Amino acid sequence: MTAYLLRRLPSLALVLAAASVLIFAVIRLVPGDPATALAGANATPEAVEAIRAELGLDRPWVTQYFAWLGGLLTFDPGRSYLIGGTIGSLITESLGNTLLLASSSLFLAVLTALVLGPLWAGTRKPWLEHLLTGINTLAVAVPTFVMGVALILLLGVLVPVLPSGGVPRDGLLANPSITVQYLLLPAVCLALPIGAVLTRYVAESLRTEMAQPYVVTALAAGVSRRRVLLRHALRNVLPTSLTVLGLQTGALLGGAVLVEFTFSWPGLGLLIERAITGRDYPVVQVLLILSVVVFAVLQLLTDVAHALLDPRVRLGGAR
Amino acid sequence: MSTALSRRTLLSGAAGGAVLLGLTGCASAVDQETSGTPKKGGTFAGAIGTDLVPANFYTNSNDGVTTIIGLVYESLILYPNDSLKPQARLAESWTISDDGLTVTLKLRQGVKFHTGRAFTSEDVKFSLESYADPKWNGQLKSTAAAIAAVDTADPNTAVLTLKHPLGNILDLLEIVPIVDKETFAGIGDGSRYVGTGPFKFEKWTPNARLQFTKNAEYRVPDRPYLDAVDIAVIPDATAQANQIRSGQIDYAYGISNLDIERLEKAGDITKIQRTGAEIQVYVAANLTVDGLEDVRVRQAIAYALDRDRILSEVFRGAGYTASLPWPKTSPAYDEELNNFYKKDVAKAKSLLADYGKKVPTLKYSYQTPSPLFQATAQIVQANLKEIGIDVELDPLDPPTFVAQLIGGKFPGLWTAYHSWAQYTPSTLTVSAYPFNALKNSSHYESDTYIKDADAAWKQIKGDSPEAIESYRKLSKDLLDGAFLLEIAIIEGRWAVTDRVKGISYTKRSELLLTDAQLTG
Repeated sequence: MTAYLLRRLPSLALVLAAASVLIFAVIRLVPGDPATALAGANATPEAVEAIRAELGLDRPWVTQYFAWLGGLLTFDPGRSYLIGGTIGSLITESLGNTLLLASSSLFLAVLTALVLGPLWAGTRKPWLEHLLTGINTLAVAVPTFVMGVALILLLGVLVPVLPSGGVPRDGLLANPSITVQYLLLPAVCLALPIGAVLTRYVAESLRTEMAQPYVVTALAAGVSRRRVLLRHALRNVLPTSLTVLGLQTGALLGGAVLVEFTFSWPGLGLLIERAITGRDYPVVQVLLILSVVVFAVLQLLTDVAHALLDPRVRLGGAR
Repeated sequence: MSTALSRRTLLSGAAGGAVLLGLTGCASAVDQETSGTPKKGGTFAGAIGTDLVPANFYTNSNDGVTTIIGLVYESLILYPNDSLKPQARLAESWTISDDGLTVTLKLRQGVKFHTGRAFTSEDVKFSLESYADPKWNGQLKSTAAAIAAVDTADPNTAVLTLKHPLGNILDLLEIVPIVDKETFAGIGDGSRYVGTGPFKFEKWTPNARLQFTKNAEYRVPDRPYLDAVDIAVIPDATAQANQIRSGQIDYAYGISNLDIERLEKAGDITKIQRTGAEIQVYVAANLTVDGLEDVRVRQAIAYALDRDRILSEVFRGAGYTASLPWPKTSPAYDEELNNFYKKDVAKAKSLLADYGKKVPTLKYSYQTPSPLFQATAQIVQANLKEIGIDVELDPLDPPTFVAQLIGGKFPGLWTAYHSWAQYTPSTLTVSAYPFNALKNSSHYESDTYIKDADAAWKQIKGDSPEAIESYRKLSKDLLDGAFLLEIAIIEGRWAVTDRVKGISYTKRSELLLTDAQLTG
């Protein structure tokens, strides 16, 4: 396995090096640079040049590239042109906010699926079935940003029981009960489509499972339907539901960007948007290279898992 | 089965009830955000649309900067919103020598920075020198750079020696915030803002909020009333509108004029229309583009513009139409000249007929994602169609737009805002790049314009009869050259609830809360 890993590492390094060059070059090919973005519409060309020199953007690209690469390799990716703070602290803070939102949404989605999935599969009341079907369809069909605005208008404006956006004045950690209230609307908004898909999947899988011979046998033996549903059928459905959940998690992170904007939640989505709009090269570069690293490492882990399961792969034999 | 469902229903009901009880039992986040009840004290909660960019400290170009400068800093003098008659601020008095080369400022005594250090003439010198540093891109840096020396022998007197008379020197003294040199480095990374103003900078959380606390040692007795100020960064205008409706905030800088109208009609807010802090929306031409090099074509465009429609439909009447940049509060304002270009399709067509050639299809650039620029561009496109000029819209994202503006590389026409005409008129022609007589985005070159702009700048007193005559010449130059065609003078609007009183602003739309009180 070590030999296999050693064989893979050069290609990984090559991919990352190529990605770093590509990212560095592409962002500079987009019209408008940080100096013009910072200078504003009333600036003179001389002022722009002064800012460019201050940021080091007047140096040759090669020099800039190696300076950036050196920073990355020494875990000092530099400072944001726009915000001024270190990129590490900016990304850490924004990532923390996004992860909190995403994990809360995931929790709500899973909870919804675990409660409503079995209820939907087990009910024999047509009205309840229709109700659940209607709600489910609505949750999947209504776009996240529309749902967000609707939730804000309903619970933030018309019946103002929850904040309509933002984060607590004293930070997320100062008062958890306040934080929960700020988190609730964006988390629900983000959780709804995923929870709906997952709920429908669990319900449908349970229905299929409940037609299995072992269920018929158990019911004939006098085991209650509820017990069979929750103790046996649900357990059998969970592994495949996890796969669906995994697929939905990707969509959740994408949706988080929209939800962050709608609810003014200061996460990675807002940071990326601001960095791109302001041509904040250091921040954009680090965010993009990070995504490449994450993808490449995941790919490597998948290949390693594949190699562990199939000796032909790690031995370099025919597949 | 039905028993199980009933039990489940019961459990669900109980869980829902518990959540509601939990929420009501906890402190309410909505109540927490709603501004307090006492008439003295409390936290003022507001929102801005664009976050702080530390490098823009002197450029007045985003809401975060104007908020910090308004609350934390003070300048030497202050103009009232409706005129250019300077009022004392950190300077108690000022005199300009007869030859216009020396400005003597008597400074207010007993003023302290938020660090406790006393304010002296050294701080005046440091602040003016910092402002002149090109890297900060201060709008009046050419004026600041024309200060040859600052004598600080007396800590309570600053004597400015000028390289030549500066008709807009008082503008500079009104605009430059007095900074603390010991903590100045913190401005660059947004970590420290130390001034002499009514509020102390507490914390900036990027993309989230700016927080301030009362300066208990502020030079004005019993001010400020508020204990703290909390400004959230909310880029989405609709989200701002929702938060002010729900009572989460009491002040919003970024709501559309249409939403402000709706909220005002519903009784949720009142508006503050910032007269005296105007900006201008304009159409300008790149004179190197085929067709636009001829003044008759540019004047035809000026006569084709339906300014009234743009003002009423796009800007909801927040201002007045204009042919020149000067607002009504400016010493250069002249009603007759301001109405020089009115919509006159026949005259426009006649000018084009004199030109004698078909004007090629023109590209027309504007910034996204602003719906205001897009709507303006669409109306202008229709106006030009009426006189036979085809226009192709060219939306650009802000950095690309600014790059083309500064590089003078627009492929035809463009629309944008400018500012700085609310000050002494020469401030506009020596600072705002689209107007700069020596080098501008339009590539407009005119010896007369250069001479008149310089003459206006070098007036000894910016409000003297000679100065006003020089502004008249400038106005005529702008009308004749027609390289930058004004559409309207816009007075921006803030939305505030009736729970707060005493909000005011400077001529740069900086938020002033010295006299603000919560009343609800």
